[in-house]
Amino acid sequence: MAPPILEAREVWKGFFGNPVLKGVSIALEPGRVHALLGENGAGKSTLINILSGALSPDAGSLQLDGRAVSLTPAAARRHGIAVVQQELSLTTHLSIAENIGLGAYPLRFGLVDYRALARSADELCRSVGLDEDVARPVGELSLGRRQLVEIAKALFRKPRVLILDEPTSSLSAHETRTLIGLVTALKRAGTAVLYISHRLAEVTEICDHVTVLKDGACTADRPLAGVDAAGLVRLMVGRDPGDLFPRWDACPAAQPAVSVRGFSAGRTMEVDLDIHPGEVLGVGGLVGQGQEDLLLGLYGAIPASAASAVFAGRPGLPGGVTRANARGVAYIPADRKREGVHLTHSIADNLLLPGLARGAGWRRRARGAEARLAATLAGRLSVKGDLDRPVQALSGGNQQKVALARWMPLDPGILLLNDPTRGVDIETKREIYAMLRGFAAEGRAILLASSDTPELVHLCDRVAVMRDGRIVAILERRDISEERIVALAMAADGVGRAA
Amino acid sequence: MTSASAAGPRRSLYWSVQARRNRGIRGLAVVVAGFLALYAALFPGLLTLAGFAKFSQTWFPLALTGMAQAMLMLAGGISLSMGATVSLGAVVAASVMAGSLGVAGGIAAVVATGLLVGAATGFIAVRLRLPAIIVTLAGSFIVGGAALLVLPRPGGSVPPWLSDLLAGSTPTAFALLVVVMLLWKLYAATPLGLSLYAAGENPVGAHRSGVPVEAALICAYAISGTLAALAGLFVAAQTGSGDPVIGQAFTLNSIAAAVLGGVGFLGGQGTMRGAVMGSLLLTAMINVMFFLGLPPVAQYIAQGLIIVGAVALPQVAERLRRPRKRRST
Repeated sequence: MAPPILEAREVWKGFFGNPVLKGVSIALEPGRVHALLGENGAGKSTLINILSGALSPDAGSLQLDGRAVSLTPAAARRHGIAVVQQELSLTTHLSIAENIGLGAYPLRFGLVDYRALARSADELCRSVGLDEDVARPVGELSLGRRQLVEIAKALFRKPRVLILDEPTSSLSAHETRTLIGLVTALKRAGTAVLYISHRLAEVTEICDHVTVLKDGACTADRPLAGVDAAGLVRLMVGRDPGDLFPRWDACPAAQPAVSVRGFSAGRTMEVDLDIHPGEVLGVGGLVGQGQEDLLLGLYGAIPASAASAVFAGRPGLPGGVTRANARGVAYIPADRKREGVHLTHSIADNLLLPGLARGAGWRRRARGAEARLAATLAGRLSVKGDLDRPVQALSGGNQQKVALARWMPLDPGILLLNDPTRGVDIETKREIYAMLRGFAAEGRAILLASSDTPELVHLCDRVAVMRDGRIVAILERRDISEERIVALAMAADGVGRAA
Repeated sequence: MTSASAAGPRRSLYWSVQARRNRGIRGLAVVVAGFLALYAALFPGLLTLAGFAKFSQTWFPLALTGMAQAMLMLAGGISLSMGATVSLGAVVAASVMAGSLGVAGGIAAVVATGLLVGAATGFIAVRLRLPAIIVTLAGSFIVGGAALLVLPRPGGSVPPWLSDLLAGSTPTAFALLVVVMLLWKLYAATPLGLSLYAAGENPVGAHRSGVPVEAALICAYAISGTLAALAGLFVAAQTGSGDPVIGQAFTLNSIAAAVLGGVGFLGGQGTMRGAVMGSLLLTAMINVMFFLGLPPVAQYIAQGLIIVGAVALPQVAERLRRPRKRRST
């Protein structure tokens, strides 16, 4: 085998004292398509950023053509390393061709040589299967087409190493076929390709070698031949839950608190769902499969429709946030900084906000009663310290607790939680988990969307797995395992759907 | 077997791109033409050489500052020190030209001043990652103060022949505007100029693509400052002397011109020809209202309403065209 073009050796990287990569090695060889697999948060993005010079490792080395280098994005490009990232790097107001050449325009007398640019852009667009006029502004294209422009842009620099991060996530089946053909051709021409995808069918089709990351460490670095999808899933999952989760007994009521049939909202399509009082129903799947829209739709924050719906004993969707609140539905958003709490206001004010509109009406606020209520809430959720401090002085975990606590005076019967433990420290996670099971034991119905698979396994009565906006399966407690959830999320359950 | 032949006879990429950029300002062009026609009907003298020269002289400084403002808005910023820079350009021009360095020295001094002010503002805003609106607000005090230091009260002088050349009865101003626009076209066709769009709209993506983002932005600030100072030189030639507060109105009018021309606040959106047309519309509008005999207060109100309307119209039209576009999360 040819020596690797780009190699990372024993790379370590941490953020804010939290290690994300723990001694990871990977070698990208010419003429080989290398798959990089791992769950959400396993460290894939960090590794890509290190390989492309966007981040520098805390320890370990990068080798380019056998020599140690330290990369910057500019140096990486000069050495022929191109990355197609999920966050697009395109400029919507420039044309396709101007985007493809950006940063490396062909020149003539010091000016951009539009004729040469048009020639190469036309050629590249055809090779990636994009049949648009290259003079069109990128802003007019669909997400999938923009992804193709992004790939053409990477190829424009004739890379020796091409890193593709989820290149097919927004492509149609037809576009995916073209891309797979292209990757195969690049491989024959001697390019080293690093291919990150959640679609195992694609991975097993085009990749030769696989590296699997789990919690920032390599669990496999081997040829792909002879490994089946189930084997790959096993290598990705299986974190030790420790004593993070409370012990709990199932106590769901027979009559569902929420029952929808044929429910659609945003990306979510045709979902049937029952949520019972006393149960935590988990919603899993890869990021962005419609989980957030499901919650927002149920909450009435985005337009939704359903063939039939019962909410808290009354027929029909609430159809609006205020009406949802009135029926005892509360929503705790994932992006607490933007939606969950008011950062610059005091903890007490934040805790009281949802109740303000209800209790007081037009009467003067009763300061004494408010202070007592805030203190009670803070005590119940173990938010410590002076309640007059602004919320932004709290840690992420405590901010999340404030976002939760503020709903309690309304005594909601239905809680919709969107990834409540993202970016939260372990200790607070433990408290939040105990709190959630406590709420369930009090007979509340809880819908918990989470990108953290162990959380779904150890905290939920049932888990619905979403893919492409639909619920592909609802697992009962006895069937819940990380393997099952990840396999369903990645369509590795035998129904390998291309788009 | 080039792709151009494979795609059949097609317009060259450059002109095709330019034509698509014109689409956004077609409506504006119609409105501008309407106002110009109305103006010509009210004041037929516009169609004589001298009349056109006078009109282009009232338009020219607003066109330059509109372009200067548009450059910064393309870069994702905005300038509140535009008027102060115009004033500083005016006093530098009038005081240097009155001295031993003469006209050539005056022009050189104005260009150097504009470049320096612009580059310094850009350096502070871009390298220190401070919001442009704050930096240029502070800059407006500093630059305005500097103008008052150079000439505490109106003074200095511009040689009469230069005033005659620039602000006499020949449309020199219009010719200069054409030259400035051609120079911009040339700049916008260099990698650094074209990259301004990317650096303004998506700096992270542009950086990853190998665009020297900071250089592109600081250059835009420097060019913008130069244009504003040159507008000041022109104003000094119009009045024959330097007035340290003459530029004040240009700050908001330049923003109005750029906004009317379809330049967006988020960076990378809009065209320079749009900004120039916006300044033309503003100038024609003010003249038309003057000729209609509207009292000055009504003029201001009408001006404000027209600006809001012009900015709202494309948005409304867009919403009507695509009634239910999915909101991305």
